[in-house]
Parts: sequence; structure tokens; C-alpha cells
Amino acid sequence: MSQLHLTDEILMAFADGELDETVASAVAKAMAESPGLARRVVEFQQSRRLTRSAFSSTLAPPVSPELYAAVSAQVRAFEAAGHAGDTVTQFKPRKPPAQASARRLPSFFNMALAASVAALALAAGYFAGQRDASGAGSLVAQLEGPQVRDALSTVASGQDVELPTGRLRVISTYRLANGSLCREFKLQASSGTADAIACRGGEWNVAFATTRPAGNADYVPSDGADLVTAYLQSVDAGEPLVDGAEAQALTRRAP
Amino acid sequence: MPAAIGQELVALLPRLRRFALVLCRSHALADDLVQGACERALANAGSWTPGTRFDAWMFRILRNYWIDHLRRMKVEGMTEDVETQTQLVGDPGEAPILSRLALTEVQRAIDTLPHEQREVLVLVCGEDLSYREAADILNVPVGTVMSRLARARKRLVELTAAA
Repeated sequence: MSQLHLTDEILMAFADGELDETVASAVAKAMAESPGLARRVVEFQQSRRLTRSAFSSTLAPPVSPELYAAVSAQVRAFEAAGHAGDTVTQFKPRKPPAQASARRLPSFFNMALAASVAALALAAGYFAGQRDASGAGSLVAQLEGPQVRDALSTVASGQDVELPTGRLRVISTYRLANGSLCREFKLQASSGTADAIACRGGEWNVAFATTRPAGNADYVPSDGADLVTAYLQSVDAGEPLVDGAEAQALTRRAP
Repeated sequence: MPAAIGQELVALLPRLRRFALVLCRSHALADDLVQGACERALANAGSWTPGTRFDAWMFRILRNYWIDHLRRMKVEGMTEDVETQTQLVGDPGEAPILSRLALTEVQRAIDTLPHEQREVLVLVCGEDLSYREAADILNVPVGTVMSRLARARKRLVELTAAA
């Protein structure tokens, strides 16, 4: 397999939707195989979002009436000089802010990127606004707690169990193309809610998680479940295992 | 829907002023820059190519005007009254993404970046211009835009994560 050398510039261009499709698909493939790369892409998305937020809301006080008046006067003089017919084709913003860096990417990349954004929540406790809340880190840690792991080995999809850490609901079970068994679940704890996917190696390990703190009105992330779905699609999870197939997969010992 | 060039110019004022602030970091001077750039734009209205981005064209004029101003004044750095103005202006059109505290922190981090990184950052990440458009405004190759932008953003992530 050929090894791509991916510079910061390329990963940034990928995050910004500036790469042509061939290169973008090579980068996407490399990202799927390397969490480190995905993380670097996510950081470029994050810096874009941070910058955008900073510039859109805090930097500039409103344009002063004096400036408006001065420029309007220039415009009137210009139009009086017979230029009224000069027109500008209305520029449409290329994308709504919420979709900042995914604008020109094919949908697969959008999903992969959405998944990567969320994965960073696990990797780095990303959400800046929540840094002080301290909920996300411990919540993620709980996803690999012993009770959660036990429950993942026993509870059928669609069932809820009450654990000391909170209410756990197993949503579905998948066999990935590489053979690993993964389960999508939700943990509602007092500190917040996590949507996560854990895969079984020797033990259940969290492959992906999105978290949101309880009662945080300031930050409204995309629905965690949607990101989990995007993640599952990006890892080619296929159809969930049901009933007997699920039970059989759970009882079989991990290789 | 075509709009008169003057009308478009007035609508663009908030963004022009924001970019001017990034360039000169002085509120008073930013107003002068915007006004001067608008005057120059109207005088050269014929050089704008219909079908291209009007905002990118204006940013370029504004920046060139700033460079000319620097040349005239032989000024290296300008007064930094931005830092004394801590008043935050909410943007009711956009749901708050980050807490104001976090935003102030991001803003401070951006302010520590070298000037040439800051201007490319605001054009691409603040104004959603493409690398090509930013390169045209800054009059540098696309590769330079990319390396400055990547450095700025890596630094920003470091600074905001360390806080």
C-alpha cells in the first residue's frame, strides 16, 4: 500500500474543501486508516470555526453612522455622475456558517469529516465552551468503565439498563468489514449524555463518541446520533445484526 | 438580482471595516481606510469585472490602500486601541457557538499572530474566501497563502488549547 505524505497544508486544504476530488479521496482514505490524520484535519476545522466565531461576533463594533454617511455621500456623488447603471451581481455566501469547511466536498467526505469532528470530542475534550464544565472528559472515561463494558457484552439492542453511572441504552450491533464487533449505545449520566460506539477487541473500547453536557443551552451541537450514523457509514458498518445473530456474536469470545 | 455598485458597497461596510481593523488595529484609522478605499473603488468602478466576487475585489482595494498608506506614513505598527476596547457586540443573527469568555480567548490568540498570518486567516476563515481569492487580494502565490494559513491555524489551536 502506498504511503501518502500529508503535509499540514494538504490536510488543511482537505478540511477547507480546497482539494480536487482525486486528492481529497486519497486523503479521506488515509484519514480512515489513521486517527492521527483525522485529528489533524479536525483541528484545522476547529481553528476555522473558532476564527469565524471570533470575527463574526466580537471584533468589530458596529460601523459608525459617520462612516455610513461618508460612504453614502461618495456613492451619491458617484451615481450623480452617471454611473447609476453599474451593477453588481448579488454575491451569495458560498455556504452557511454551520457547514463551514465541508462546502465542496462530496457527501462521503462530509460524513467522514462530521465523524472526525465528533471523534475529537473523545480525543481532546474539544468543545471550548465546555472546557470549564469538566463533564465531557469524565463522561467519556465512564464509557469504558467496567459496568458499561459488562453491559455491552450482555444487553440486547433496544434495551435500557440502569448503571451507577447513569442509564445505558444499547442501540444496535454491527459487524464491520474488518470483522470487529461494534455496538452503538447511549449513556445518560447526570453530567451529560454520550452517544458512542464501542468495538470489542479483548475488551470493549470506545471507537467514537460524542458528548454533550447536561442542560447546556449555550452550545447546540449537531445531534449526536446523526454523527454516530455518519461515523458508521464512514466505517462501512452495513446493516445491524438483529436478534439471534446479535446474541450469537455477543456470546462468541473475541479473538 | 443585480444591485447598484454603490448599494453593494454600503452593504459591505461592516466587513470592510472588520478587515481594516485586522490590518491597522486602530478604530479611527480603520474608518479612514474604509472611506479611502470606497472612494478609490468608486473612482475605478470600471475595473471591476462583473461575475467575479465584489467583496474580494473590495478587500483587495482596501488592502492596497492600506499598503499605500503605510508607504506614505512610513509607519511600521499602528496604535493599538483595539485592545482597550473590550466591549463585546453580540450578533443576534447567529446562535452563540462559544461562550464569550472563550471567544475573547480566541481573539487574544489571533492578536498574537504575525500580521501576515492574521490577514490571511481573516480572509479565508473569517470571510470564507478561497485560497485563490485570498492569494489575489494579498498578491502572493497560493502556496504562500496555504503555508501562512496552516501556521496560523496550528498556532491558534495550540494557544487556545493551552489556555
